Amino acid sequence: MTKYGLFFLVLLGFSESVQAKLFNAQEFMLPNGMQVAVIENHKAPLIKHMVWYRIGSVDEDFGKGGSAHLLEHLMFRGTSKVPDADFNHIMDNLGVVSNAFTNYDVTTYHQFADISKLEALMALEADRMQNLNFNDQAFAAEQKIVLQERKQVVENDPESAFDERLNLILWGNSPYSRPITGTEDEIMALSAADIYKFYYQYYAPNNAILVLSGDIDVKTAKKLAEKYYGNIPAKDVTKRKVSEVKENFQERLTMRLPQIQSPKAVVKYLVPHENQEKQIYTFLVLAEYLGGGETSALYQDLVVEQKKAFAVSVYYRLAVSGNNLFSLSVIPTSDNDNEQIFTLLNEAMAKVVTEELDAPKLERVKQKMLADLIYANDNPSDAAYWVGYMLANGYSLAEVQNYAENIRKVSLEDVRAAYKNLGQISRVEGLLLPIKKEESHD
Amino acid sequence: MIRKSGTRKWWFILVLMVVFIGILWWQHGQKTKKGTINVEEILLQSELRNRTFNSTVQKIAEGKVSAYLMEEHSNPIVAISFIFERAGVAYEPDEKAGIAQLVAAMLIEGAGEYNALQFKQISEQYGIKIGFSASMDDFSGYLIYPRQHQDIAAKLLKAALLRPMWDKKYLDLNKEKMLLALQKQQEHPSNYLSYKFRDKIFAGHPYSRNILGNQDTIPDLTAEDLANYHKTYLAQNNLIIGIAGDITKEKATTLLRELFAGLPEKNNLAKLEPLHLEFSGKEYKISRKIPQVITKFATEGTYRQDIDFYPLYLANYIFGEQGLNSRLSKVIREKEGLTYGIYTYLSISEASALIVGSFSATPDNFYAAKELLLHEWQRLLQDGVSSEELRQVKTSLINEFNLRFADINDISDMLVTMQKYNLGQNFLDKRNDYINEVELQEVNAAIKKYFSTMPDFVTIGDYEGEK
Repeated sequence: MTKYGLFFLVLLGFSESVQAKLFNAQEFMLPNGMQVAVIENHKAPLIKHMVWYRIGSVDEDFGKGGSAHLLEHLMFRGTSKVPDADFNHIMDNLGVVSNAFTNYDVTTYHQFADISKLEALMALEADRMQNLNFNDQAFAAEQKIVLQERKQVVENDPESAFDERLNLILWGNSPYSRPITGTEDEIMALSAADIYKFYYQYYAPNNAILVLSGDIDVKTAKKLAEKYYGNIPAKDVTKRKVSEVKENFQERLTMRLPQIQSPKAVVKYLVPHENQEKQIYTFLVLAEYLGGGETSALYQDLVVEQKKAFAVSVYYRLAVSGNNLFSLSVIPTSDNDNEQIFTLLNEAMAKVVTEELDAPKLERVKQKMLADLIYANDNPSDAAYWVGYMLANGYSLAEVQNYAENIRKVSLEDVRAAYKNLGQISRVEGLLLPIKKEESHD
Repeated sequence: MIRKSGTRKWWFILVLMVVFIGILWWQHGQKTKKGTINVEEILLQSELRNRTFNSTVQKIAEGKVSAYLMEEHSNPIVAISFIFERAGVAYEPDEKAGIAQLVAAMLIEGAGEYNALQFKQISEQYGIKIGFSASMDDFSGYLIYPRQHQDIAAKLLKAALLRPMWDKKYLDLNKEKMLLALQKQQEHPSNYLSYKFRDKIFAGHPYSRNILGNQDTIPDLTAEDLANYHKTYLAQNNLIIGIAGDITKEKATTLLRELFAGLPEKNNLAKLEPLHLEFSGKEYKISRKIPQVITKFATEGTYRQDIDFYPLYLANYIFGEQGLNSRLSKVIREKEGLTYGIYTYLSISEASALIVGSFSATPDNFYAAKELLLHEWQRLLQDGVSSEELRQVKTSLINEFNLRFADINDISDMLVTMQKYNLGQNFLDKRNDYINEVELQEVNAAIKKYFSTMPDFVTIGDYEGEK
C-alpha cells in the first residue's frame, strides 16, 4: 500500500528526482537463453502466463505466407506427450482462459488462471515448445479453420480489407506488406512439412520470453521457470534483419466498397527505425496531443470548431521491432470533396502544432498520459501484455519501467521536430468510399 | 553337421535375443519419450495451492440509497458501477427513440460549472473515468478514479447526474454522431446482423428496436426531451449501485449520499410484460454481397431467478459455451474445420430469456455446418448429457471462479448484477455450491424442456432477398 501510494504521489508531483517504476517487476535469464519477466500483483490469486516467441509472419519464406499463424493453431493439436486436442480439454478442466495470437513480429501463447494451476500451465507450455506432434486430420482441419478465420476477420470486414490494401502500398517489398494470415492460395498450399520446418527452426527457449504476471514472487518464479523450461535445449536462431525503408514516396489509395456507407480517410506515415528509436516517446506524446480523445487538438479543431469531421484518431505503437507507423484517421462530415479532407487535416495539424502548442498544453498532455498509468497495475493481464510486447520487440525491462520518466522528458522542441519529421518521410493517404450509382470515374 | 547346425541355432537364438532386447529397449525409449504429463500430480504437489481471495460483500445504505461494497486495498483505485433499471432503449416512448443513448452521451458534454471541454480535461488530468450508456433494459454509468482524487471525481459525477447542461452545440454534434453510427452499423455485416436479429426475433416488441436509435426520430430530439427523460427515468427507486476498490465502508456510505441523494426519490416506470416467443426452426435471410455467411439463432431459455437456471446454464455450457471444448465446437470446428468459431449463450433480459448462438462460414460450408448444428441439437435433446460431461463442466466452472476478480470495474459491475437478479449478498460464497448441487437428471430435464423447440435463424449472406 505504502509503495503504491508513494508511486502515485511521484506521478502527480511532477517530481524529477525520484524514479517511479511502472511495475513491481524483475527479469532474469535461464541458462538456455530463455528470458523471463516477473510482474508481481498480489490482489487476487491469479496469474497470467505468457510465452512470446520472437517470430512472426515477417519471418516466413516467400510464398509460405500464413505459416506462423497456421503453426500457432496447430500448437493446440497435440504433442507426443499430450496428444490431439487434449491441451484444450485440460485447460478447460482447470478453468483456464487459454489463447494465442500471431503478429508480424511475434507469436504469443497465453493463459489466465488461478495461481494454483500455474505449474500445470508451465509443464504443458514447455512440452509444446519441443514436442509438437499433430496428425494429418488435424492439419487438414486447421488449414480450413484458418481460411475461415481469414474470411471472417479480414474479408468480411471492409475496413480490414482496406487496411490490407494500404499495407501493400506502404510496405512495398518488405514482408510487412503481406497479410499475417497469408492469402487464400498460400494457406491452402502449405504442407505439414512447412509447418514443422518453421517450428523446428524458430521455436526454442533462446528465442522466447516467459512473462509471469500476478500472485507470484520472483524467487518462486525463478525456481519454477528453471524446473519447467530450464532443460529445453537452445537452438541456433538467426536474428531477423530490420527491413530498410529507402525510398521516399507519397501515394494515394482510393477504394470503393459496396458495404461502405460513409467515407473514411487515413494517413499513414512510415517512421524509419532510426527515428523510432530516438523519438518513440515524442511520437507517443504527439499522437496523444493530436488525437487522444475528445480533448485532443484535432478533435477540438476539426470536429468541434470547424465541423468538418465526426471523429479523429491518431495512433502510434509503443513497441515495434523495426520501422513504425504514425497513423491518423478521420471520418469527414461531408461526402463531397473527399480529397479536401487531406488538405484540411494537414492544415489543422500545422496550426495546432506550430501555432497552438505551448508548454502548458504539452504538460497537460503528458499529465493525462501519466495519470492513466495507475490502472496498468489493476488487471495483471494488462501488465503482462505491456511487458511482453516491449521485451519481444527488443526493449529492456528498464525501458518499460522508466516509461513515465521518458514521457516526462519530452520537450516542446522534441514534439515540433517530430512533427516536422513527418513532412519528410514516406506516407500513404487512403480514402475508403461508398459506391455511388451515378458517379463519374476519376 | 550337427556342430554346424548347432552353431546356427545358437546364432539364431542370439539374434532373436538381441532383437528382443532391442524391442524392449525401443519400447522403453518410446515410453519415456512419449510419456505423459500428469497434470493432477503436478497440481497436488504445487506449492501454489490453496490461496484464497477475500471476496466479502458488504451492504451499505444512506437514506433511500443502498449499495453493495467490496473493499480491495491493494491498488489505490475505486470503481463505482450503477444502473437505472427500466430506463433503457426498450422503455423509450416510440416517438423519442434514441433518447436514452443521447442522454448518455450528453451527461458528459458539460455539467455543473464545467463546459464539455473542461469536464473532460479535468477527468483526464486526474485519471478519472466517467461515462454512461444505455442497454435495452437499463441506463448505466460508471466512475473509476484514483483514491486520492475522490473529491474531484465525486464532484464530476454529481454534476453529470444532477446538473447536465444540454449545450445546444454538443446536442447537435451528438445527434449527428448517432446518425453516423446508424449508417456505420450497416458496414460490418455482423453489426448489421445483430440489429436485424432483434428486428426479426422480437418483431413488434420494443426489444426489436435498434439499440443505436432511429434515424427518423433522432433529428427531432430536443434539449427539453432530454431534460424530461432525465427527470423521469433516473431516480433513487430504480437505482442499483456496486462499489469496489480502495475505499472504506464509512467513505463509501458518505459517497452514496453525496452522489445520489439529489436524485428524485421515486419514479413509476412499468415493467415490460414477459415475452413469449414462438420458435419453429425457420430462417430469415438478409441479402448482402459478402464472402462469408453469418447467422444468429435463438430459442426460448429461462430467467436468472428461475429454478431451471443452473441446470440449463450447465446444459448450454456443455453444448455451446465451453469454448473449444463445447460439443458444437468439437464437431463443427475441431473435427470438420467448417468454421472459425461457433458458440451459444443464455441471453437474459427483463422481459425475455433466450438461448442464442452464432457462427459464420463460407457459403460452401454454411449448410453443412448448420446441418451438423441441428444434428447436435437433436442428439442433445434425445440423449442428454453424460455424468462425465457434467462432472467436467462443474470442475471447469469452479476452477475459473477467481478469474472474475481481475479488473476492479468488473467487480463493481458484478456487484450490480448480484442485486439486479437478487442473487443475495452471499452469492460469491455460494456460487460454487450452486454449480455443484445441480443433478444430472435436472440438467437432462432442462434439456428436454428448452431444446425441444428448434431455434429460428437470422442469416446474412450472398442471397437473393431482403436487404
